[in-house]
Amino acid sequence: MSNISIDGLTKKFDDVTAVDNIDLDIESEEFLVLVGPSGCGKSTTLRMIAGLESITTGDLRIGDRRVNDLPPKERGIAMVFQNYALYPHMTGAENMKFGMNSVSDYTDDEIDDRVEEAAEVLDILELLDRRPGELSGGERQRVAIGRALVREPEVFLLDEPLSNLDAKLRVQMRAELLQLHQELDATTLYVTHDQTEAMTLGDRVAVLNDGRIEQVDPPQVLYDYPETRFVAEFIGSPAMNIVPVDLEYDGDSVSAVHEAFELSLPNGDRFTDQPPAAAFGVRPEDVSLAVNAPADAQTFEAEVSVTEPLGESLLIHCYVGDDELHVKAEARSAISPGDTLELAVDEDRLHVFDDTGSAVYHSSVREEAASDTVYTTPEP
Amino acid sequence: MPEFTKPFDSKWQAAVLLLPTFVVLIAFLYYPGLETFRLSLQQTILLGAQKSFVGLENYRTLATSAAYHKSFAISVAFAAVVVVGTLAVSLFVSYLLFQVDVGASTYLIAAIWPYALPTAVAASVLLFLLHPSLGIITHYLELLTGLSLDWFTNGPQAFVIVAVVAIWKQLGYNIIFMVAALNNIPGTLTESAQLDGVGHLKMLYKVYVPLMSPTLVFLVIIDTIYAFFATFPLVDLMTSGGPDGATNLLIFKLYRDAFEFSNLGLASAESVVLFAVVAILMYVQLRISESRAHYGG
Repeated sequence: MSNISIDGLTKKFDDVTAVDNIDLDIESEEFLVLVGPSGCGKSTTLRMIAGLESITTGDLRIGDRRVNDLPPKERGIAMVFQNYALYPHMTGAENMKFGMNSVSDYTDDEIDDRVEEAAEVLDILELLDRRPGELSGGERQRVAIGRALVREPEVFLLDEPLSNLDAKLRVQMRAELLQLHQELDATTLYVTHDQTEAMTLGDRVAVLNDGRIEQVDPPQVLYDYPETRFVAEFIGSPAMNIVPVDLEYDGDSVSAVHEAFELSLPNGDRFTDQPPAAAFGVRPEDVSLAVNAPADAQTFEAEVSVTEPLGESLLIHCYVGDDELHVKAEARSAISPGDTLELAVDEDRLHVFDDTGSAVYHSSVREEAASDTVYTTPEP
Repeated sequence: MPEFTKPFDSKWQAAVLLLPTFVVLIAFLYYPGLETFRLSLQQTILLGAQKSFVGLENYRTLATSAAYHKSFAISVAFAAVVVVGTLAVSLFVSYLLFQVDVGASTYLIAAIWPYALPTAVAASVLLFLLHPSLGIITHYLELLTGLSLDWFTNGPQAFVIVAVVAIWKQLGYNIIFMVAALNNIPGTLTESAQLDGVGHLKMLYKVYVPLMSPTLVFLVIIDTIYAFFATFPLVDLMTSGGPDGATNLLIFKLYRDAFEFSNLGLASAESVVLFAVVAILMYVQLRISESRAHYGG
């Protein structure tokens, strides 16, 4: 299996820069997810790696070869498309064989063996004689993945492969993809706009915005220590609360002052910069009702506007001053619109972003992340 | 039926709106059709001024006429050459148009403009361009190939020339439909094949042709009708059926029998036979293609 190394990759369509000087290293056997809103350049990046789109500038290496100018079939990749891209007039088996015949250093028997092997892995043996029209969406995507498997590629490229499936099937296929990756250990690059897919699938996740990479990190780090305001708001659902505050510095003690509350931020020495005003971020589950918080917690008041029962929790939309704040409270809490709540925040989970959108402060630091681990498998 | 989806207040309103179509169909299609069939059972002189009922006599004449047999064979051969030739050349040109990135619309217009030319005009212009002694194209063809082209007197040459012109004239129509069909094929299929390095030719006959087969079936039928009926002006203006009947297509022969030899009854019988032949061909083509064409899903 090969690593992929991307250096200064740029793609311009006439005047539009779709991908802007991206650097990214994908380890061998890693599952890396490219995630971002539509138009952020994630698909274009994938298509450049596949060779379906030319590279304007930059270097692309797969393994130890520079592949910028190699045609797709010589790059050792296989790709799965969002709309499956199966040939509608061919059966599942024919679809899987069609490309193999063209690569053609395999005998027909070898190809048959491989098709059968891939079909077994994917549990689609009984679908091999059927045409795509007779298959459900999930079955089609399995055949499409099977077609990629028979190539035994160095690198798997998946372009939103689950987006056309219904929600339940998506969750199931997600788990199957993970399992498949663990069995095959192929380097996998997965593009999606769905942050849940990104979080659940990736060894690491690269968040793209506007043609640039905002952050590349393991999912939990991305969630706990977003480096930019964009990542903070994009990853996590419901999104992180961001409210504007003024910051007051007094040595190492820093206070965030908002029209409706004032919080003193712990570990003020961790500010990497000292902007006078900034965006203060806290996730909905890190805000709690004061009654559930420790007695010495700093509290403030908010007025409830809407409540949304999510089943396992209650999402409260409330106002602090003119700013909206989302709070996750326990399910079945007796809270109704118009109520005034006493709220507290988890002081280990506070973030501050400057006006360029970069994080200048997290109330805990990444190096301490290990101590946050609540449960580790005991050594045998 | 919900009120808002009901298109008409009454059946009468619908009938009135359909009336113009029915009038045109009856006056210019069904009535002449029936009249032709009635005429085919009669012997006529002086353009039908005097008629007498002769039963199937006209059909018996056709069945035993060597000239008619020859015309029949030539028409079938001509249709086969024109249909196959048109489809093959159009497919080739369409595939090139489909693959080209720069200036695609310019090429497309260049490829389809002959269709915009009236057949009679095209025939007159090509008559001079391809004229055995005056034509600029024939001149250079003779220089390049060393052949001596004289299709005014050489039957097979005349057949080929008229067939080539007929194909050329029909290309535009075929190309429009084929390019549209090719562009309807999802781009990811092409990309998926690119990833595997599937060759252009293999892609054409293994993927594109099967996927555009509904369009191809339609074109086979339209081209067949064209070859049997719409090539009349070409023959009329370029060869008048000659030399020695080499381009005497059924549609031209029946016109001459009717209006030059004033034998309306016999010509009507020829019309009926031509109609029956083409109708049967349509049916066979549709049945064959129904089992082969891929209609998606």
